[in-house]
Amino acid sequence: MDLLQKWRNAIGMTAWGVLAAGLYLSLVWAPADYYQGEVARIMNLHVPLAKVSLLAYFVAFVASLLYIWKRGALADNLAHASVATGIVFTLAAILTGAIWGKPTWNVWWTWDARLVSFAVLLLLMAGYLMLRSFVEERERAARYAAVLAIIGFIDLPIIHLSVTWWRTLHQPASFSAKGLSIAPDMLAAILVMTVGMVLLYVYLTLLYCRKLALAAQLAAKSEQRLREARL
Amino acid sequence: MNFFSVIGLIVWKDGLSELRSRENISSMFFFALLTIFIFNFSLPLDQRVAQTLAPGLIWIAFSFTGVIGLGRSFLAERDNDCLEALLNAPVPKGALYLGKLLGNFLFMLTAEVLLFPLFILFFNLEVNANPGLLLLVFILGTLGLAALGTLFSAMMVQVRAREVMFPILMLPLAVPVLIAAVQATAGILQGSPWAQYGSWISLLAVFDLIFIVIAFWTFEFILEG
Amino acid sequence: MCVTRLYASIESIGREITWNSSDLKNCIENSFPGLQAAPAPPARGMIAVEHLSKEYQHAAVLRDVTLSVNAGECYALFGANGAGKTTLLRILATLQRPSGGRFFLGGVDGVAQRDAARQLFSLIAHGSHHYDELTALENLYFSIRLHGAKPDEDACQTVLERVGLGDFTASRVRVFSSGMKKRLAFARAMLLRPAILFLDEPYAALDESGMALINTFLAEHSEAGGTVLMTSHNRFMTAQVAHRVGIMEGGRVNEMGVAEMRRRHELF
Repeated sequence: MDLLQKWRNAIGMTAWGVLAAGLYLSLVWAPADYYQGEVARIMNLHVPLAKVSLLAYFVAFVASLLYIWKRGALADNLAHASVATGIVFTLAAILTGAIWGKPTWNVWWTWDARLVSFAVLLLLMAGYLMLRSFVEERERAARYAAVLAIIGFIDLPIIHLSVTWWRTLHQPASFSAKGLSIAPDMLAAILVMTVGMVLLYVYLTLLYCRKLALAAQLAAKSEQRLREARL
Repeated sequence: MNFFSVIGLIVWKDGLSELRSRENISSMFFFALLTIFIFNFSLPLDQRVAQTLAPGLIWIAFSFTGVIGLGRSFLAERDNDCLEALLNAPVPKGALYLGKLLGNFLFMLTAEVLLFPLFILFFNLEVNANPGLLLLVFILGTLGLAALGTLFSAMMVQVRAREVMFPILMLPLAVPVLIAAVQATAGILQGSPWAQYGSWISLLAVFDLIFIVIAFWTFEFILEG
Repeated sequence: MCVTRLYASIESIGREITWNSSDLKNCIENSFPGLQAAPAPPARGMIAVEHLSKEYQHAAVLRDVTLSVNAGECYALFGANGAGKTTLLRILATLQRPSGGRFFLGGVDGVAQRDAARQLFSLIAHGSHHYDELTALENLYFSIRLHGAKPDEDACQTVLERVGLGDFTASRVRVFSSGMKKRLAFARAMLLRPAILFLDEPYAALDESGMALINTFLAEHSEAGGTVLMTSHNRFMTAQVAHRVGIMEGGRVNEMGVAEMRRRHELF
């Protein structure tokens, strides 16, 4: 555990460092966008957050598959931790997107494919966490959650597809989220922020995994004490 | 035991129980009816607006039907621990899933078929549509909802806050079904050409296939791991 | 993984579909009183439990349970509430997986070959496994068909009369008392005639005639070569049918002679 802890702390420090650098790049170094002004700087937060949320769900999907295949507690903890950290990133992504959207498009929210997919992603992650907390037995919770994660992951592209079809039927895409062509300076900032966010996600997930393992041990110890006291 | 006779047996058992108690179908039907009433009171629906909104309202009502009816589908297995008996029986668990799916599907479809004429009545809809195509959309959409619903209902059998968790888990995943079903229904009700809504029907069919297969494979894992 | 599962499920469907009449005959012989068609009593004993353990969230409920029951024997398990009797029974009835150890039913590994093991036993537990909206006869019909046999109305009628439900064959189980539901469960066991019977507190909820009925049935079952593993709190009734007695304590099973049990009455 010591080596893992060292690695984890190292990743955490690197994450904060990279994020700090990225923030500097995005807020100070990169020039303001020609059309959108300073608001475009939020993209440096929004895009990495969005990418990391999808990464988090993908990791949960793979970990769930692994759990179904091998039944290891590690795979299960990883899936749980990934969703628990991922949901924060998802929420932040949606919020930053809305903050960007209001001055740019004059709407807080619109029902295009990307936003709907993210909203559903948020709901899926929330549902996953609720499911885990509402099922008493550890093993059953892991099973149900694994199936939920897998079904959700397979469903996401279908949702994206159906909403895309739906919107193109009703109105031609009046704006696409990737509408801006990115200047190389801003691209550098976004990339640095993305790397930082990924590192942050890895750090937080590992931390959450540790928390889950410790919580399980604590529960076991207290159960054992209770039993011994009773006997 | 023959795979298909297991399915038939489960459908027989569910059908007989339902026929005697009429719990599920009546609660589904009346809840959806109430939804229609509430639509009428809360939305200012003149004839033209009703015509535009109708497909959406229909499928909102149907998905509530699903949430009520599907959420209860494994309730009978919970009393008297019947689920244990089903697990111990030497039958493939996938067949159990298909049997439950078929039963749920038939109940939902019955409620919907009873509901739709009332819908037309209350909203004074003009329907110049092909009833066969409409039925096809109802069938495919209901199958999609039932496929997801049966799976999650099996999960929810021993979970706290069952009635709340079930729609929370099921409805976000059912978004493609709802979008596709509404679009297809709208196309059919307005008498549009096939090209306009044909792809939605294919989407429904593909969705149904994918999720029935996934649920079939994971059902045993869910039940006993 | 997906491919093997797909293959396995297609294979199992294919197997079911190409099922033919000799399979049916085999199935009936194996589950109806032709116990000579059952597998020859394996060397390990009909029920063989080896170092079984079960943990819930790291708290051990069963530690190192080892016992073996031979064909024709009735083994009774006593123990305090919460000692783990029901857990052991549920694991043996393949409703839960053990954390460690193995067990064999009729020589078949209960964990690795779960489906094959399930053909050999019937479980009568707290829930009566019946559907409230169906009548007694329909419930029997369902159970028999679920086990792949052809239900015979006369046989069902006879068995129902034997358990004292002759007047209630066409009543819905919804109106049954818990004792009547228990009797219906035994009627089902009488019809299915499994090689192994798992009973979880069979005497609970029954009146005197019901308890006597169970003991008669268990005696017949043992004589025909069937095996019984039951948990119980009723020393008096159990003593009449049990061949061996075990006490569950601290997650382990300690065996005690029946004569000694009758003498000492020192069971909790």
